[in-house]
Amino acid sequence: MLLKRLTQAMGPSGFEDEVRGILREEVSPYVDAIYTDVLGTLICEKGRSQPGPCVMLDAHMDEVGLMVVGVENSGLLRFRPLGGVDPRILVAKRVRIGSSKLPGVIGSKPIHLQKPDEQKHPIPEDELFIDIGAKDKEDALANVQLGDVAVFDTLYDTIGDGCVKAKSFDDRVGCYILSEILKKSYAVPLVGAFTVQEEVGLRGATAAAHRIAPDIAIALEATVCFDGPFVPSHSEGTRLHGGPALTVQDGRTVADVRFLRFMMETATKHNIPYQLRRVKGGSNDFAAIQKSREGVVGGAISIPLRYMHAPAQIVSSKDVENAIRLVDAILQEIASGNWVEERFAN
Amino acid sequence: MSDDISHLDTLIALLQQDGGPGTEEGVASIVKRAFGRYTQDIQTDVLGNVFATVQGTGEGKRPTVMLAAHMDQIALLVKAILPGGYLRVVQAGGFDARTLVGQEVLVHGRETLRGIIGSKPPHVTTAEERKRTPPLEELFIDVALSEERAKQLVHVGDVVTLASQPVHLLNRRISGKSLDNRTSIAILLECLRYLGDKPHEADVIMVATVQEEVGTRGAIAAGYREKPDVAVAVDVTWADMPEQPQDLSFKMGEGPSVTFGPNIHPKVFRALKDAASSSHMPWQLELSQGPTGTDGRAFQIAADGIATGVIGIAIRYMHTAVETGSYDDIETCAKILARFIQTIDASFVEGLTCY
Amino acid sequence: MKELIKSLCEHIAPPGGERALSNELLEKVRDVAHQTSIDRLGNVIATKNGDGPHVVLMAHADQSGVMIMDIADKGFLRIIGAGNLEPGRLVGCQVVFQNGVKGVVQLEANTKDAEIRFDHLFVDIGKSSKASASELVHIGLSGVIVAPFTELGATRICGGSMDNRVGCAIAITAFRDLAAMNRHVSVVFTAMQTVGARGVGAATFALSPDLAIVVDAGPCDDVPGHDVSSTELGKGPIIQVMDGTAIVSVRIRRHLEESAKKKGIAAQFGVWPKGSADTDAGAIQLTKAGVAVGGVHYPARYVGSTSTVVDVQDAQNAAILIVEAASSYEG
Repeated sequence: MLLKRLTQAMGPSGFEDEVRGILREEVSPYVDAIYTDVLGTLICEKGRSQPGPCVMLDAHMDEVGLMVVGVENSGLLRFRPLGGVDPRILVAKRVRIGSSKLPGVIGSKPIHLQKPDEQKHPIPEDELFIDIGAKDKEDALANVQLGDVAVFDTLYDTIGDGCVKAKSFDDRVGCYILSEILKKSYAVPLVGAFTVQEEVGLRGATAAAHRIAPDIAIALEATVCFDGPFVPSHSEGTRLHGGPALTVQDGRTVADVRFLRFMMETATKHNIPYQLRRVKGGSNDFAAIQKSREGVVGGAISIPLRYMHAPAQIVSSKDVENAIRLVDAILQEIASGNWVEERFAN
Repeated sequence: MSDDISHLDTLIALLQQDGGPGTEEGVASIVKRAFGRYTQDIQTDVLGNVFATVQGTGEGKRPTVMLAAHMDQIALLVKAILPGGYLRVVQAGGFDARTLVGQEVLVHGRETLRGIIGSKPPHVTTAEERKRTPPLEELFIDVALSEERAKQLVHVGDVVTLASQPVHLLNRRISGKSLDNRTSIAILLECLRYLGDKPHEADVIMVATVQEEVGTRGAIAAGYREKPDVAVAVDVTWADMPEQPQDLSFKMGEGPSVTFGPNIHPKVFRALKDAASSSHMPWQLELSQGPTGTDGRAFQIAADGIATGVIGIAIRYMHTAVETGSYDDIETCAKILARFIQTIDASFVEGLTCY
Repeated sequence: MKELIKSLCEHIAPPGGERALSNELLEKVRDVAHQTSIDRLGNVIATKNGDGPHVVLMAHADQSGVMIMDIADKGFLRIIGAGNLEPGRLVGCQVVFQNGVKGVVQLEANTKDAEIRFDHLFVDIGKSSKASASELVHIGLSGVIVAPFTELGATRICGGSMDNRVGCAIAITAFRDLAAMNRHVSVVFTAMQTVGARGVGAATFALSPDLAIVVDAGPCDDVPGHDVSSTELGKGPIIQVMDGTAIVSVRIRRHLEESAKKKGIAAQFGVWPKGSADTDAGAIQLTKAGVAVGGVHYPARYVGSTSTVVDVQDAQNAAILIVEAASSYEG
């Protein structure tokens, strides 16, 4: 199962090799050309010589992770985050380190030995260590190298009604959607970009967009969903099962209103549920692509994701399916010449 | 081409020269003269970046490798002339305001004026005041001129730099202002010296960039202009001091730090590491977890993307008037880079897009 | 100049929603331009072919505003900022959305002034249910603060969209003058500047200017609370030395200074650290292999608040200075 393989693969920013390997194998039979750029972004071209606007679909391969930066005499490993990891979620989690996927745990002082006041404050990052079971520094360095990266050790599985849980749905779910789309054919030039280093500043997409120089771009992403009964509706971001989410504004993008209307109209026409992202910040690769060269039309289609950047995350299978349907419908509409900027001007 | 005269004197001249972000011309002219020993192909772009190209010996389309060091230093700009002829300043680069109190400066007005960053003497400060450090907005520069005279000679926007003459310490260590990053300019020069007549397939572009201290701005334009196959940012890192995080502290005199992490192309990192081993030079590993605070941050995502490396020597007291570094490290780093350049060939470049 | 500013101020143009203003801007320059266009990001571009280096005048068209992020049960709207309005300053203000619907911004009960974030604000548009509010507005609709063009005495004016309709008016005036002199000149009314100079790069990439001159509001500190002022209202255009995005090269700054002298215009110098006056200049300067950029700004009081005060004479002098600098620039 592709989504399972993708989410269980390791790929912090700059270390996307395993994810790239899975995707290359998966989509190669369906595309005309597949290659990597100098940053490691996997670019897949399909029907690029056909007439029509060149459409770039983007999904980033990287996830947030940790990097081993030091070893204590005790054999415990010091680490620093790669991308935005909330240090509060690290304690008492299992991780996998390096290409051998060596298991490790992030522990803390037991509750019995803590002062009452300590429990009220998050454990600072420099007091957290990864324990791989090493007896001492030498033993640790025989098993890991400085610069090795680690990710959460979380298994993919179903949960509840119509949901799945795993790590790194941000943005393996986008990679999955893009892979499924690349298996289909459209009468429009299509370039799929599985980008690197989104989590450290949209870096892969910046270079890839300049190289691809698309006319239209859509980023396929995961977005914040925090829709419990304890949250006011304006703070929930999106709702699970509410359908793929379209951006009106986030931390780095104001929607291209015409393309937003086109996507909304397409969803309605094809009976696909959708929602608008009600977020106050955050961003995705489209922000970088939009500003490339002379500017790019487009937007983002996001999957509601509970517990973003945490070890265990939840998405709705229905939302994923509907996102694939929506991307599919949009490409069909573009191929039929129904994306005409002026039509959506007002 | 090859010669035996080291660039220690050039470095001293560079340290004596003032040049803040956007006002690097004086530094640039020293740099151009020094590059002139190795090539006639020296160019300047719109922003003021200086490019010196040494052709490689390869046949046909040669690989290009760019080594970059920024030549600007952190500075202050005059924001207002206060009653009494005192000057108020803002940052152009990142000073710790605590290191500025009592510092001697140069105000580059219609004339170059001596100035002192004033402070309230302990006799007139209260116990409360002594507990806090005044922010830059509360500091002022005293040029000992009347308000009228100050207004004639100093205008809003004039540059203020630290007045600090370089000094030789023990063990070929040098202290002064702007070792960040003039030591790396010296590395580029020493690298050209060591490269001498040795064959190298790749064209080498040495760049002295501008405005790094305000956001790697020169590098953004330089990367786009040259679009080299490989770009290496040469910039200083932190030497060890008690209380500093261990993974961000490096030993002076034990070779340059070579950076590894998402900002760095893994094959460029390996090639730098291998160049150090094959030239029997020491090096230290610096780990980074995102875009580095160097020109390499800009190079990696310039145009279609550039395979990027970062290397540099460790200095103490960064961003102060007494930055301290070792000339031994400068030479070691230059030797590694000269070796690295010789290893760049067409097949290396081809491998950069093979993941 | 005053009439021109006034007519430009009648439009609502939050970031990303500049198109309501685009036609009016085009109308003001179309008759003297060889080419006009609106690009993919919403930048409005007009070019006059002619003599000399290609000088491009850049003034952002958008103004800071708010965007509807949620329509809550009782018909109250939740908003987020779009640009650099401070949420605390919006309490009690009226807001008008792109479709003309108006409302009042208010604050959740029990919020301390110092803590005010957009999370604490809501807009009352006079509807009592989510359904009835949804008939009037939708998520993603943008609006701006109601603060119309107002004259303060003979030469001073104020309003919510001074920043940067005054800049647009200066750019229009200078562009027309330069076109009449048959110079090679373009004007760009840039999109999405207030959210971080997102539009201008695309236009710069397309035009590859020999020189770009940015026209924007230059914050004044000649008001109570400052012990000394570095830029003052009515004291002439401000030649940018540095803002949070760009340091102007000494060569271009000197050229602007000389141009002011030649025209007998008093000029001031702008030194603004990061965050205090960020303009399009940086995004222009760092396009492709670098672009020569300068800034000629009009002094403006209370930039970033809901109403900005400007002196029309400063704006007129800014236009004269730009025309002189552009027509005597030799590359």
